[in-house]
Amino acid sequence: MSDQDQDKDPVVHSSLSKPLYISSILLVLSLAWGLYDEMYGIRPWKGYEARFVKLYSTFLRQQMGGESAAERQIKSQPDYQRLDREAADAEKKVMPQLAQIDQRVNNVLVPRIMALNEPFQEVRSHIGALTYQIETTSSESTKNSLRQQIAEIKKEVKYVRLPGDSDKKAYTYDQMDHQLQDWKTEKAQKLEERVALMKPANDLRTARDKYLSDRIADASVDTLAGVERSLDKFDIRIRQIHIKDVDLVDRCESCHLGTREPVTLTAAAMGGQTVFASHPGDKELLKIHDPDKFGCTPCHGGDGAAVSSIEKAHGYNEHWLWPLHHAENIQAGCQQCHVKEIVTEMADTLNQGREVFRLRGCMGCHRYESFDREADEMTSVQQQIRTLEGQKAEWKREIGFSEQKGNNPRTSDAEAKRLFAHANDLRVRSSGIDAKIEQLDMRSVELVKEVKKVGPSLKEARMKLRKEWIPVWLEDPHKWREGTKMPTFRLDKDERRAIAAFIWQSGVGGQLPPEKPGDSDRGKEAFETRGCMACHSMGEGSAKQGGTFAANLSREGEKANYAYLVRWVHNPRQRTLPYCPFEKKDITAEDYARHNLPFVFDLDHDKCPNDGHQLQVQQMTPMPSLRLTEDEARDIASYLMTRKHDGASYEDAGYMDDPSLKNKGLLLVRNYGCAGCHEIAGLEEESRIGTELTKEGSKPIERLDFALLGHRAEREGWYTHKGFFDHKLADPAVYDEGKEKAKQDKLKMPNFNLSKPDIDAVSTFLQGSVDSTLPARYFYAPADQRQDIVDGWWVVRKYNCMGCHRVHVGQTTIFDTLQRYTDPDWKDQKPPTLIGEGARVNPEWLMAFLNNPSLSDTDTNRDGVRQYLHARMPTFSFSTGEIRKLVRFFEALSAQREPFITQKLEPLSEQERVMARQLFSSEGAPCLKCHMDGDAKHDAKATAPNFTVAKDRLQPGWTRRWMLDPALMSPGTAMPSGLFRQDGERMVFAGPTPPSFNGYDKDHAELLVRYMFQFTPDELNRLRGSIK
Amino acid sequence: MAETNGHDGKPAGAGTGAPAGGNGSGGNGNGSGNGNGSKVAAVLAGAKAVRTRAVEEMKETVKAPDKTDLWKSVLRVKHDETPRSRALGVLSNVFLHLHPAKINRDAVAYNYTWGMGGMTFYVYITLVFTGTLLMFYYHPSKVVAFRDILYLENDVPFGKLLRNMHRWGAHLMVIMVELHMFRVFLTGSYKKPREFNWVVGVLLLVLTLLLSFTGYLLPDDQLGFWAVTVGTNMARATPLLGHDGPFGAQLGMTPFNDVRFGLLGGSIVDANALLRAYIWHCVAIPIIASAFMVVHFWRVRKDGGISGPAPVVLESEVKEPRKV
Amino acid sequence: MDFHQLWTIFSTPDNVPIVLLLFVVPFYTWYGLRQAFANDKLITQLEADPAMAKTHHRKIQPFKSGWAREVHVWPYLLRIELLAAIIVTIILMVWSITLNAPLEEPANPTLTMNPAKAPWYFLGLQEMLVYFDPWMAGVVMPSLIIIGLMVIPYIDTNPLGSGYYTFKQRKYAILTFIFGFEVLWVMMIIIGTLIRGPGWMWFWPGTTWDHNRLIFEVNRDLPDLFGIKGRIPKIFFGGFVVTAYAIAAAMLIHKLITWTEFNKKIYKRMSVLQYVIMQTFLIIMLALPVKIFIRLLFRIKYIWVTPWFNI
Repeated sequence: MSDQDQDKDPVVHSSLSKPLYISSILLVLSLAWGLYDEMYGIRPWKGYEARFVKLYSTFLRQQMGGESAAERQIKSQPDYQRLDREAADAEKKVMPQLAQIDQRVNNVLVPRIMALNEPFQEVRSHIGALTYQIETTSSESTKNSLRQQIAEIKKEVKYVRLPGDSDKKAYTYDQMDHQLQDWKTEKAQKLEERVALMKPANDLRTARDKYLSDRIADASVDTLAGVERSLDKFDIRIRQIHIKDVDLVDRCESCHLGTREPVTLTAAAMGGQTVFASHPGDKELLKIHDPDKFGCTPCHGGDGAAVSSIEKAHGYNEHWLWPLHHAENIQAGCQQCHVKEIVTEMADTLNQGREVFRLRGCMGCHRYESFDREADEMTSVQQQIRTLEGQKAEWKREIGFSEQKGNNPRTSDAEAKRLFAHANDLRVRSSGIDAKIEQLDMRSVELVKEVKKVGPSLKEARMKLRKEWIPVWLEDPHKWREGTKMPTFRLDKDERRAIAAFIWQSGVGGQLPPEKPGDSDRGKEAFETRGCMACHSMGEGSAKQGGTFAANLSREGEKANYAYLVRWVHNPRQRTLPYCPFEKKDITAEDYARHNLPFVFDLDHDKCPNDGHQLQVQQMTPMPSLRLTEDEARDIASYLMTRKHDGASYEDAGYMDDPSLKNKGLLLVRNYGCAGCHEIAGLEEESRIGTELTKEGSKPIERLDFALLGHRAEREGWYTHKGFFDHKLADPAVYDEGKEKAKQDKLKMPNFNLSKPDIDAVSTFLQGSVDSTLPARYFYAPADQRQDIVDGWWVVRKYNCMGCHRVHVGQTTIFDTLQRYTDPDWKDQKPPTLIGEGARVNPEWLMAFLNNPSLSDTDTNRDGVRQYLHARMPTFSFSTGEIRKLVRFFEALSAQREPFITQKLEPLSEQERVMARQLFSSEGAPCLKCHMDGDAKHDAKATAPNFTVAKDRLQPGWTRRWMLDPALMSPGTAMPSGLFRQDGERMVFAGPTPPSFNGYDKDHAELLVRYMFQFTPDELNRLRGSIK
Repeated sequence: MAETNGHDGKPAGAGTGAPAGGNGSGGNGNGSGNGNGSKVAAVLAGAKAVRTRAVEEMKETVKAPDKTDLWKSVLRVKHDETPRSRALGVLSNVFLHLHPAKINRDAVAYNYTWGMGGMTFYVYITLVFTGTLLMFYYHPSKVVAFRDILYLENDVPFGKLLRNMHRWGAHLMVIMVELHMFRVFLTGSYKKPREFNWVVGVLLLVLTLLLSFTGYLLPDDQLGFWAVTVGTNMARATPLLGHDGPFGAQLGMTPFNDVRFGLLGGSIVDANALLRAYIWHCVAIPIIASAFMVVHFWRVRKDGGISGPAPVVLESEVKEPRKV
Repeated sequence: MDFHQLWTIFSTPDNVPIVLLLFVVPFYTWYGLRQAFANDKLITQLEADPAMAKTHHRKIQPFKSGWAREVHVWPYLLRIELLAAIIVTIILMVWSITLNAPLEEPANPTLTMNPAKAPWYFLGLQEMLVYFDPWMAGVVMPSLIIIGLMVIPYIDTNPLGSGYYTFKQRKYAILTFIFGFEVLWVMMIIIGTLIRGPGWMWFWPGTTWDHNRLIFEVNRDLPDLFGIKGRIPKIFFGGFVVTAYAIAAAMLIHKLITWTEFNKKIYKRMSVLQYVIMQTFLIIMLALPVKIFIRLLFRIKYIWVTPWFNI
């Protein structure tokens, strides 16, 4: 208080302006930052668009140079010139009339109409107003006065100067009205005339432009120029696809600007910027899946609405459930909607994935909807039968009781009546059940043919296999036979012994009668030419040849039993004992004896002696019967027996007879789910041991058990579905890493030794197997023939038709890869291609053929159509269902109308028949040189299909087209082209024609077709006669 | 107007021609044409005068805008540096008059109050602001809710910024409230006569937490969903009122009639829960909270402004309480 | 040391406030206490020298004669408020631009999050669930906290330290509050956020939050430890132990609040009601750390087991 220095009060005098100033600046800065972030920070696409415009326009300029050159060239073509000229002429011709019309319309009618319209409108609106008053006023007097007024107005005369006239014209209201009407109608007429006049010229011009566009690779100079012009006023904005019903917003094209450009843009062309490239793959793809209808993300994944960063847009940010598919799995998107298909066009990776999944027996352990559905149906059918039978038995008992009770004298009449009525009622109803059961049995007749197992039946191990081989095989199938279907299980010594013992002891006992040896050289020849190699491969390492569909037989001799092999080659479907799915047991001779029936079972004797239900009388292998003779079978078998590593030794396996091992083995076999692929005694009805995979792709990632690898996966960036699948497939045991588990708790999935491409393919398939949230219209469920194609593919793949036949363009068969068939003499020995088969053959015939390719019940050791081929269409014993599917498949592929109606041909006149015969046998047209005619002697040297069956087999329309130009339909065919030449409207034979043809003015090709299709046996004799 | 001007012009007009004319007309009314001309001149002169005057007035206004009636009517007080107007500046302002005209010189310093109370209020305002804007883009119903958040993030201009500000603002507010309370305790500001305001403060703290919690569910994502599930699962254990709580079962509480059901409008966190959370978050709690805030601030004033810094009191000066 | 894990925990957007807490709470504690000690120094001076006490302006803030004791709100306060507002805005802006609010997968009731955590400010309560049954941790405790806070002004009979920082004059009150606020509330939040991982298991910072982790611990009830069988005995035993604790705690607390002469004075000013209320709340508050202690050290789940509730 006392001290005097009066220094200033800090609170009052200290200035805050500096901090205020600084903070305000900071505030402004932060706001600016916020603004910038909003405009550019989270809008990277703006940069992309700017860059795109630059690159694109430069690219276009270069392009136009090249294009225009090509275009000039085309424009110089005479056709183009002609069209151009004609167009010009047509226009010149009508010029004067056009001028006239235009003059009349533009200089007279239009201005006059406009001039007169104005006063007319004025009066009309006035009248309108008055009319309204009339309608609204109540008093009659007013109404009348108003009507008066209107009348006067209408009378009133307007003076109008029309353009072109010097003086004014007088018009009343009505006159104006009419005048206007007249002019307007006239104008309309004139314009119509104009269009009519221009039409020819315009048509020609469009024709000319089409001519150009058809021949220009990508886009004409004009298009390019148009595009470039549009680039000038290119505005930087979000480019988005909005699809209402899915509530989908895809802005992908804000950066991927090249996707749908008319010009194909490659990354290279766009300065190495892949982002600007056009949508890869077939242009067709985007035509079918029009982005404006389908969007991008439904197929590709990613976050279509997010454009704030690449990571977010591609959905790779944490917590986004639908990340973008990686390049190698891009086709996962297809699977989402193309479910229930085994083959999807343009999706090779995916198809490969499905094929591996099917062929390597994944579906043996993992249920997957629409894969291996026959087996599932089989079980359910048997289940139904059982329940129905149970019901029936119960009612039977009940009937007995009630009748007994009814007959009992102590029951009252009324009561008795009721009971008998009840009994009858039950009888009727159980007859109903019989009907149901019958239906189910008929279905199972189909099914027993359709159900196939991936692996061979182990019931016959005893007869088939060399005992010591089994444990060796179990240890590592891929070591013994690389690339085999059987995966490697992680079994220790004891497990192998136990399993081997179980397999051995559970096999059907007894031995096959010994077979006498065959000639292995002839066997080799047969093996290589009959078509075995379409599925089987022979030779190892680089020497390997043949198909991968079935086993490689290079070491068959080491494992197989000769007698069994003979039987197998002769008829692979032959079983030792039939199996009754109803009783779930093999039926032995005793069962037959008990019902004193002969111990015979085949496709014609397929009912169970015990209960009359359907039996499984075939081996469940897709391998068909080649209808070989016993000797041929022996030859091939002996050849196969020679296939072995010399000096391969197998240690004794006496323990396999040790009964104490059997049970342990059974448990293991159960545990590892062997019955998923193999038929094993007592385990026929085992259910699958793996998880269902139908929706695996959309399982929450938390539910995929990465076990101890979770964190590593996160850090290494494969904590995704893709990562899980890829690692699991590469090493099925990977998620056991570091886990402390008892042997039986460890992961069971065996190692398939898949190649990297196969892993990607299967992974693609699984990633695509999602529980889709898309609306129904996205899914591929065609109501037309395309469904037949979808269904057909299942059968085609199931039996590996494509091993021998080319089913669609661009496909190669195994035969194309075989050494022998590169030799010119053997080229024509390849099985026929089936492209256009639906158009070629008569479906009824095809059915018959597929059912029995020998086309004969007696002489089956032959091919019905092409006996000259060594390779032979085998008998698959398809179910009728499968045959139907196949036929419809081919019909659909070549767009044949369903149902099929045979084409009517006008009958052949006697003299026409003669002519045709002469032509047929003439030197100029030596048809019968190559074509079989059913005469064994001749057919031996024939090299073309039997034309006597043509009338049943082929379709007339196709036959004619074929004769005109075979090379067009199947390039490299032996059938010569150019047999006919155009002569005005008709085709005439190119070579010298027999004299009888003089003055014949009908179509020669047509004639031959009609001849063939009205061919009769005795005509055949005449024909043969005429050749001699 | 013109008339009077004409008269004013008279003496001055000696030299000039036109006024002379006017003059003549003024004097003896002969020669109509002549008279006409003079009238026009008069009008012109008048107009000029009006303009000069208008200019004058504009100048004044620009020189001293605070002299104008408009200015006065809006601001009511002068803004010179006199103590009076400084005081009035605060007192006569609807927003500022929660403040006293003058305060303890040391209370101005940051170190005493930490400014937490004020900042909390400021953050609250920003939250209301951003929140209102967000409401324009948000529908409180399943599926749509989540989509709306994505929409905010991707489409709405400044939507992302808005959402972030709202979220972080909420967290900031919770922290500030807790620190505010901490400060108030350390300075013993809850003591007589401020006890009740402390109680109000505690209520505000609770409301703040509830606001934040109800907002947590609205994006309807896993985070919010499970947070709220965990949170509300505690309610099922309420003694007497929850079906898992002590004596709950005995009192016939089931998952379908207990307090949790009431909170969620269902036995699980679902559409109803979302809607309820929304209403509580956007309507009910803000209103209640605002009401309490008003009371809180009002009481600060009525209890004699902020508590300090007060002069320290010595132990020796403590008066013995009157024994009852 | 798993830095990746540490980073994921700290960088989780919703954990940022906790990271913030880690800094601001200690800072402001220090900031407040520093002033408190300054004041205390002044107080001792003044007590030592009555003459000075008469004349001194009794604040740590500087003061000279002739300085206004009161200043105008406008501009001296308002300008500061403006500054504060601006700064807060800046902070908020920058925070919002640099850090995005979290958004996870759409809600999916069939897919439980592990760990499923409440908002951070409730993690204290969630952490309490480990030590108490839900009805206690989730309902009773929170409501007690709220009420407890509300009654503070009415049970604090200490006339001193109103309107200025001081430690010397309010040792007991301040320690209690700091204990409650920082040790019990903030610490629990921090534990709940940074330490508790999948399955609400205890993960020391730097260890990996492993979903497969399994730990073996049996939690027994106190009665079983003492081999007490049968329902009734258990009830009585539990009741007895709890009351025993209550009494012990009460005595301890009483000791504390009558520690110094000054404390005694304040204690004298208390009405019976005030005293009882204070005791109740403090006993319960103390129960929390005690329970945590025995739970973590002796793996004891319940002390008082009854058919209706367990403590």
